[in-house]
This record gives sequence, C-alpha cells and structure tokens, in this order.
Amino acid sequence: MASRSASRLARRLAGLLLAAGAFLGSVSPASAALRVVASLPDEADLARQIGGDRVEVTTIAEGTQDPHKVPVKPSFVVKLNRADALVVQGLGLEHAFVPALLEAARNPKILAGAPGYIDASLYVTPLDVPTSQSREQGELHPLGNPHFNLDPEQAKLMARAIAEGLARVDPAGAASYQENLARFTAVLERKIQEWQQLAAPLRGVKAVSYHEDMVYLARRYGLVMVGTIEVKPGVPATPAHVEELVETMKREGVRLVIREVAYEAGLADSLAERTGARVVTVSTLAGGLGTAGYVESIQADLEALVAAVQGAPR
Amino acid sequence: MRGSRDRGPRRTALCLGLLLACAPAATAAAADDAEVARLRAELAATRGALTSTQDELQATRNALAALERRVDGLQAAVPATPVPTPQGTARLAPVNVDNPAISFVVDVTGASATHASDGAIGFPDGTGFALRTGELFISAPIDPFLRGYASLSGSSSQGFDIEEAALVTTALPWNLTVKGGRFFADVGRFPHWHDEALPFVDRPPSIDRLIGGESKAEGAEVSWLAPLEQYVDITGGVYNTVGAENTDGVNRNGFFGRRSFNELTYLVHPHGYLDLTDTWNTEIGATWLASPQAGERTLYALDFTLRHQPGTSGFYQGLVWGTEWLWNNQRFAERDDTGLIVDHSRFQRQGGYSYLEAFFGRRYSAGLRLDYSEALQGLVDRERMASLFVTWMPSEFHRLRLQVDDAWGDQPSNQRVTLQWTAFIGSHSHGFSQR
Repeated sequence: MASRSASRLARRLAGLLLAAGAFLGSVSPASAALRVVASLPDEADLARQIGGDRVEVTTIAEGTQDPHKVPVKPSFVVKLNRADALVVQGLGLEHAFVPALLEAARNPKILAGAPGYIDASLYVTPLDVPTSQSREQGELHPLGNPHFNLDPEQAKLMARAIAEGLARVDPAGAASYQENLARFTAVLERKIQEWQQLAAPLRGVKAVSYHEDMVYLARRYGLVMVGTIEVKPGVPATPAHVEELVETMKREGVRLVIREVAYEAGLADSLAERTGARVVTVSTLAGGLGTAGYVESIQADLEALVAAVQGAPR
Repeated sequence: MRGSRDRGPRRTALCLGLLLACAPAATAAAADDAEVARLRAELAATRGALTSTQDELQATRNALAALERRVDGLQAAVPATPVPTPQGTARLAPVNVDNPAISFVVDVTGASATHASDGAIGFPDGTGFALRTGELFISAPIDPFLRGYASLSGSSSQGFDIEEAALVTTALPWNLTVKGGRFFADVGRFPHWHDEALPFVDRPPSIDRLIGGESKAEGAEVSWLAPLEQYVDITGGVYNTVGAENTDGVNRNGFFGRRSFNELTYLVHPHGYLDLTDTWNTEIGATWLASPQAGERTLYALDFTLRHQPGTSGFYQGLVWGTEWLWNNQRFAERDDTGLIVDHSRFQRQGGYSYLEAFFGRRYSAGLRLDYSEALQGLVDRERMASLFVTWMPSEFHRLRLQVDDAWGDQPSNQRVTLQWTAFIGSHSHGFSQR
C-alpha cells in the first residue's frame, strides 16, 4: 500500500517535471543569429566587428570590473545555456568565473575543447610565462600574462582566432567573417600607426601599476614598469610593501601611477602624493572609461597616459 | 817569380771556385733578408691592424658598457627598435591545466567558551584547538559526458570520512543534469556548503540541529534548468536519508535493516535568481524533503539572499543578507532498555538564521548572524545565538576569521570566542553551487 503511494508520488513528480519542461521549452526564444557570449567586453566588441549581422553578442563582465574577480551570477548561466559560442580571452584570465559558470550552464557546445569554445589567445605568444607555479609568487597565470589585449598588435591575432572560431561554429558565414576580419584588421593597422605617433612621449617613462597587467602595453609603447601596488599578482598591498614601493619610486624617478579603473583609487593617490608622480586612470577592458569599443578604449587609455606624462613633473 | 805567376792564376781560380761555391749561399742569404724584411713589414702591419682592432674592440666594449648602463638605468624596458609584430602561431587551446584538480584545505580553530560543560549551549568543549577540516578535494572531467569529484575529509571531532564521491553528467539534453553517489543533497542554501566555504566559523546551529550537519546523502539527483529569461532551476532527488549527523534509526540501520521505495527520502528544490539592478540581485529557494513511510520525516525550508555587488572601483565592496528557515516534522522511535521499539513520538521543530555581511574592500568583511533553533526530538531545548564575525583575507587562498558568539535559551547561557585559520593548498573550488 505504502509502496504504491510512493510510486504514485514519483510518477506525479516526473509527470510534473516533464510537463513543465515541455511548456517552458516551448517558450524558449528562437533567433536566427548565432548566439555568442563573450566573457569580456573586448572579446564582445571583436566578435561584433567580425560577426556583423550574423551574430548576437552578449557580455558577462563589464569594462569597469576586475576580470579576475567577476561574480558568478546565475543570470550568466542562463546566457551561457543558450549560447552557440563562447569567446574567452584565455590564458586563464577568466578562471574565477568561466569554469564555474560552464559547470552550471549545461551546454556541451561551449565547453573547453568543443567547437563553440573560442579562445582569443590562440595565436598570442604570451609574456611572463612563470617558470614556477608556486603561489609564493602570487596568484600566477600558469600559461602566461593574460592582459595581451592592451597591445593592439595582439588584437589582430585575437580577431583572427575569433573569426576562425565563428567560422567553425557557422561554416556558412566563413566568407563573411573573413571579409569582416580583413576590414577590422585594416582599421586596426591604421590606428596602430596613429597610436605609435600618439604614444611617442611614453617611451622611457617609468611607471607603476596596481596589477601586473601593463606588460604588453609597456612593451609596445616603451613604458618602463618599475613595480606594482599589489605585493604579488592577486595579493593586496601590505604597509611594508607600500613603503618599499615608495622608496623604489623615488629612487627610480617614477612619473606615473597607473590605476586600473577596477581597483581602488586611494592607494594610487597616496603613492602619487608621496612620490610626486601623477595618477592616471586607465581601463584594462574595453568600455571601462565609458568608451564604446576596443579601438576607442585603446585610444582613451593612450590619450590618458600621454596627457599624464605631459603634465607630470620630470 | 814564375812561382808567383803560377800562384796568381791558381789564386784566381781558387777565388773563382770559392766565389762559384759561395754564390748560391750568398744569393740565398740575400733572398732571406728580403723575406725577413717583407715578413717584418707584414708583422708590423698586422700588429698595427691588431692594435686598430683592439682599439675598435675597446671602443665597442665601451659602447656596450655604456649601453648596458643605460639599459640598467631604464630597467631593460625601452626597445631600441620597434617591437616585432607578432606573426601568430596557433597554440593548442588549453583545456584543463589541472587534470585532475587537486586541493587540500587546512581549517583549524582555537576557541574559548565561558562554560565548558555538556549542559552548556552550543559548544561544550571549553578552551582548546581543533582541526575543523582537513579536506582533500579532487575533481576532473571523466569523458565528454561525465565529470567526477570527491571530497575526503578528516577532523578532530569526526575522524576521517569520504564526505563526497559523486558523478555528474555534463551532456544530457533538455537542460538536465544527473548526479549520483555520495554528496551533499541540494537542501536550501547553506546545508549543502562545505564547512570551510561558509561565511562563518561554524555552521549555523539551526542547520546543525535540524538537518544534522551538512546535507550529506547517498542517492541521486536530477536538476533541470528552465529555459526562461530568468534563472530558475528545479532539483529532484532520492536518497537513503539526508544529514551528515542524522542519528535516526533510518540512517543507522534502514527500516529494520532494509528499505523499500517509500522508505527512501525524496527532495524537490526549486530555486530562482533575479537581477534587480546592475548591482543588486536576489535568490530565493524552497525545499521539500520527505520520507513517505508513515510520514517518517517531512522538512520544509525557505531560503532568501539579497546581494549588493557594485562593479567598479568599489568592486570588492558589497553587502549580503541571507536568511533561511527550516521546519522539520519527524517521527522517532522510542526504545526500551533492550533496544526494542515500544512506541513512536512525532516532533515538529523549527529553526533558522539570518545574517548580514558587509565587504569593506578586497581583504576585509564583517557581519552579524542571529540564529534560533530547537532540538530535533525530545524537549524543545530552544537555543538562540548572536554572532559577530570579522574576516581578513591576506590573499585569495588564505583567511583568518574571528567570531564572538553569545548563546542563550533553555540551557545555561554561554559565550565563545573562536579564531579560525583557513588555507587552500592547490586548485581549490567548490564550483557554482557554493558561489
């Protein structure tokens, strides 16, 4: 008797779930465009530039956020659940949120290694690849420094990886993606020439940043990075480290304190005040300074840096 | 005279002979002198060239030293020539650099309570140290359809145990996921969190008393993500029983050592999430858990969480308000001295907590928790606890937490101070469910 009632209960539950599934499945929105989720705004903008009308792009993180610490919100799971492709910057930059979201998204099309998982770092040669994985060195990225998006030359490679990834998911659009890639690359080439001229005053200027995320930009435009406000990557500043950094900045004649928009301003201001350097706020992600896309973001960062250098004491 | 004339030709002949004999040697000597002179000239020229080369080398060395000094001065960062444009060579896309991901958690406490007796509320141990958790956590994809994870845990109070060993599907259609094995059943919010992942030093007493610690269970769960614009998932589960420290007869022996379908425990847990604004969001869940055999146990739970998560320079700041309430209706056997069941008694008990935690920056947070609970069976034994907790994180993998508890109720009141020190070795993550 009791066994029969339990069976009835189980059948009712299963029936309820199936009915709900059938109903809710029918209300799932349909769209002809390829549904692309980008982990970060840079990848979102590049995917839009290359995908054109064939893609519908949504973003997980905002430009003002620290890409290492994006909160794992269930609303992102919904986006990923419906995605045809996921574009990530790669090199472990999104380790704090993408793996956990993918675990819950129930979408095998976009799992790492699947055709829909598009890694924008595919063609990038990473800098700062650690020789040791010891956390004594902070929260290291085992595959190398992932902030290559700040070097526009690397953006050409990112665009290439994204175009190939979109073509993999949507072979019918391959020609369109290649055409858009060529157009975007041409725009970048022209801007890169302009930016070389614009950023000329940065060459040889000594600077510190909050996080170790300026290496690609510094290499491209000749900034000399002397240290970071963080003790080590991912390890917040301690009073002893701040004192040491102040001494180093004075000794080296550091002129710029680069404060990434996602990080607190107080320490950067305090360092600048104590050393005579000038604080400049930049964004490591597109849109962080209120700009529209990748090209505008690089432009805004370089303009801010140059303006700070030209106004900074020597 | 004649003799002198005779000697003359002979002398001449002798001289000629000598001359003839010596001529090649004289010629050779003359040639050697020329060669020596030439070689000397060549040597001098080579020496000159060497000196010149040495001068050039020295000049080059000087230039090199000057460049090195300059480079040192510039911290080796100013490129003399434009940075080469990357040509782009495809690397193999990394799938998982930690396969399997392995971690070990060290979670130790030192605590002091004002009343060290079994009759005191909550924490009878007085003053002392404890290994709360030493947990080995392993997880990895198994194949394109499945991932697995295991948590092996030991502590001062509970010895060593396999807390979880479960398999989870990754590629089922219709947004379904199936989990099977031993795992923490999807009850409410905190009941299925590991101790070291909680925002407090201890598990809220209401959960400890009504669930029996974590919601540990052996069984299977099916979870379904609704295809809606908002996040809604529903979990259905079936287990032997639920609760790590649940001491009822079912957990120990089954129903007289065996189970039928209606003697298993069933669960339904719908759970939703809503972004109220860009920075405010909320989660709400409801749990129904029951063992149908003669109404053996029915538990209802509601959980609610409100978060403020700003996204810019105050990114690390924020606020969380979480609350959870549980109602448990359970039948317990009464046994005589020989262990025979002589009667059954039913107890309806409830409890819950509410907490507020503020994040002041990247390293600091502080909060307040209020908890009310009743005993699962027997006397009601009401217990109320107010707790203040402060957390300091030197890094993402290292945490110190101080908590002060004041407990009062039907038993003598008690106060406790606990310092918790937690560190994560390796690649630690409990994933989405304990975000």
